[in-house]
Amino acid sequence: MVTEVEKIIIEMVKVTKAFQMYGMEHPSFKSFFTPFYKKITEFLNHNRELKLQVERFTILYQDKEIYKETEKELSIAFRLFRDGIRNIGFTDGLTADELLLFLDIISKQSKDQDIALNLWEADFSHIEFYVVDEEEEEELQYKIPEAPIENIDYDEILNHIRKKEKIDFEEEIKPDLNNTELSYLKNEILKVEKEPILGPAISTLINFLQTEQFSDIIDSLTELAKYSLDQQDFTNAHTIVVKIKELTEKNIIEKFENEMQIASFKNIVDILDEKKFNEFLDFISLFSKKAIPHLLNLTTSIKRPERLNAMRNRIADIAQDDPSPLLNFLESKNEAILINAISILGIMNIPASVEYFEPLITHPSIRVRSALITALAKFEKPELIAQLLNDPEIEVRIKALRALCRIKYPKIYPVLIQRIKSKKFHDYEFTEQKEIFNCLVANGDIQTIKLLKQILFRRLLFGRKRYKTMRHLAAMALAQINSPEALDVLNKGMHTRNKDIRNACQQALTKK
Amino acid sequence: MSIHQFGKKFITLLYTLTRACRIYDLNNDVVITAGQKFYQFINSLFDIFENIEIVRYRDYIFFNKQRLRFEIEGYASLQFIDNRLKHLDIKTIVISKGIEKDEIMRFITIFKETKDIFMNEIKQKSFPHIFVEFKTTKDEIPDFLQNGERTKKVYFKALMVTKNLMQNLWVNRTVDVRSSKRVVYNLIDTLSRDEFGLLALTTIKNFDEYTFNHSVNVGILSLALGQRIGLSKKDLVKLGTAGILHDIGKVEIDKGIIYKPGRLSTSEWEIIKLHSNFGVRQILKTRGLDEVSLYAIVVSYQHHWNYNGTGYPPRKEDEHPIFFSNIVRITDCYDAMTTFRPYQPTPYIPPLAIKVIWAKRGILFDPVIVKAFTQLLGVYPVGSCLKLSSQEIGLVVRQNPGHIEHPIIKIILDSKGKKVDGHTIDLSLDKKVSIINPVYPQKYSINPASYFV
Ligand SMILES: [Fe+2]
Ligand SMILES: [Fe+2]
Repeated sequence: MVTEVEKIIIEMVKVTKAFQMYGMEHPSFKSFFTPFYKKITEFLNHNRELKLQVERFTILYQDKEIYKETEKELSIAFRLFRDGIRNIGFTDGLTADELLLFLDIISKQSKDQDIALNLWEADFSHIEFYVVDEEEEEELQYKIPEAPIENIDYDEILNHIRKKEKIDFEEEIKPDLNNTELSYLKNEILKVEKEPILGPAISTLINFLQTEQFSDIIDSLTELAKYSLDQQDFTNAHTIVVKIKELTEKNIIEKFENEMQIASFKNIVDILDEKKFNEFLDFISLFSKKAIPHLLNLTTSIKRPERLNAMRNRIADIAQDDPSPLLNFLESKNEAILINAISILGIMNIPASVEYFEPLITHPSIRVRSALITALAKFEKPELIAQLLNDPEIEVRIKALRALCRIKYPKIYPVLIQRIKSKKFHDYEFTEQKEIFNCLVANGDIQTIKLLKQILFRRLLFGRKRYKTMRHLAAMALAQINSPEALDVLNKGMHTRNKDIRNACQQALTKK
Repeated sequence: MSIHQFGKKFITLLYTLTRACRIYDLNNDVVITAGQKFYQFINSLFDIFENIEIVRYRDYIFFNKQRLRFEIEGYASLQFIDNRLKHLDIKTIVISKGIEKDEIMRFITIFKETKDIFMNEIKQKSFPHIFVEFKTTKDEIPDFLQNGERTKKVYFKALMVTKNLMQNLWVNRTVDVRSSKRVVYNLIDTLSRDEFGLLALTTIKNFDEYTFNHSVNVGILSLALGQRIGLSKKDLVKLGTAGILHDIGKVEIDKGIIYKPGRLSTSEWEIIKLHSNFGVRQILKTRGLDEVSLYAIVVSYQHHWNYNGTGYPPRKEDEHPIFFSNIVRITDCYDAMTTFRPYQPTPYIPPLAIKVIWAKRGILFDPVIVKAFTQLLGVYPVGSCLKLSSQEIGLVVRQNPGHIEHPIIKIILDSKGKKVDGHTIDLSLDKKVSIINPVYPQKYSINPASYFV
């Protein structure tokens, strides 16, 4: 049996080394662990328990040495012995999880590590151990202190207390708990397990700070704020920062607006629930402009559009009226950062930043140019958008047209007419043709109806088939204008002999 | 399930069955169902254990060598079975594999009866799978004063470590956190083994340096209460640490004020009151910010907050003490009341302190926790001195679970007032003597603690 145990221990040493080298998840570790676990459980099945004695550098089984390692760094025996462990016992029923946790505890090498404490905290069902304290051997000398003997009339004292306390001393004590009281206790116990102590602890430290501004408390609170953030508890972190500022005029937010901290939010913004996300935004609001570059970086990882939008808005709030921290990023090679910077500047709506946008009109990325239109749409000056009507990409041109529809730019009117009248117009895709007409209507005046009427009723000798689309577009535009004059034109069109005109007008009126 | 859980379930099912048999006859559905359940459970136990062994020894009940704790949950069943075993003078019951339903039911019908019937029947009839061992005169009434050496060691070690900790803090020296952590773990382990023994040691009060004993006592009382209401080991660590450290802020207060004999002036009181606040800083300094320490910080700050919103330091209306603060509020008050302090030359005797705490439940104290606390200590807590109808003086040495007014006592003064090494009486069984009233031990120059060490 001794040799059997010896084999188990040899294997345990190997497994521990593998654990230190690879960690629990690694396949190499598993290839050591699985046979070890099998061996030890087989032994326990037969013998019910495996009790080991620990000495300074050795481990004994039934008083026979089965392990020896005198190199302190390497010795498992020494590590256990140093922390006062003298006995370790495994009993039948040992689970793989227990064994893994056990290995985890005994393989940690740090100095503050107390194996005895950790084993105790693990609260194993199938691993027992016995720990001695250093003083165990020496007798603890203690004398019961004697009460001061005084000449006191104790009956008088009793009477005095009875009078002082003003309570009914005859009241019967009946401490049986009813069901309501039992469930109250159960609930309180549940709360200890479920409700984190963080909240009350933070309030306590803040209360302390109210009476005395002790720098260690500020440091501790800062640490707790950091911990709260790690736990995604943004409300507590928020409270700490705000309260410290209020009470000490010290702003600890600078400890959190660094690259590392903000990058740590990367994977969570998309997955937080709605409430937490809003709390997160509230916390972000505490940041100063220094955080903007890191926040900008953070936005590039957000996938949910509404969250991205909310973040951009929040960054715009942080920047207040100063676009300078963002303007630098207009030269960024990182497309996502550039787009976010453009969007945020758009939200901030500071006309001074327009000039920085100009060079971007020819940016090679469609997404950048497209973002540029969204941002420019928020400004008073649509000239730049107009320039994008000549963009090589239809997507960008359409976006520009739509933007000009919304913000109105009468100067574009002649440009559009020219475009409609040009021969090239027939080469545009229908969607773009439609957008051009829409834009024309949006930026036009009374003259527009006249022009559309001309296009609608134009007499042709050739290319009637190709011109059908033009009539159709004109009719639709008139329907969109929807004024009595415009409708009048369409009604007239309904009664012409030209079938193409009639069809176009009819379609426009029914669609309306 | 752990052995403890198996044991508690066994006791609960045995209780249900015995009670059912007391009320209904054997053909009743309630009895049949209870019998069926008990039988099935026993059978499932035999998959794990060779035998089922119930031992009642020194007021503790053991299920297959595992001591069963009195907890709020399942309290009634354990108390019932405990009283039954006590009444029938049973020391051990062993049930072995192969038992049939019929044998179980025959046993239960006598188990519910009086001692005479039980003794008679168990000898007359055949119970091939049940072995019963009765108490012998030797273990008739155990000597409770022969406390486990280990329990004492743990108590004094706790005291030493706490004293070192506070004295080092007093002079701003660094402290050894590891040993104070170990103290709490050892107390928790000891408590699960020898709850009554450890509680008895809280009668040790130090008249010169009351703070150290007080800290340890509050730790133990809180832990015992926490264990009684069913806190997990992990939560007990938080509660115990908070209990021991609750007054640690006192190390920032001038010793001259703390140990000043006689009454304190208002301004001196205001300084004393700051200790709840200072505790926050001291705990931070010694323990840092782990979870256990956060509990200790909050409890230190809140341990003078009363149930009705009064107390110090002042608080906002929406601030409420956490559960552990409510526990320590009570254990702290109890130990403080019963301890000699410079500004309290005559402490309250324990039964008086219990009365006061009971009367102030719902005012100063959480009423539900007060109930659990009173269940734990009884009306006459360990260390109380009682004048008996026989004119003798008895010292309470043990609580009797379920009999809060009838503890186990030891006669320490005879009817003439002479110190004697008297016998132990279980007042719940022996009705010949009754309690007249609790008395001050000092009146008879008695130091109760000396009997427990
Ligand atoms: Fe206090
Ligand atoms: Fe206290």
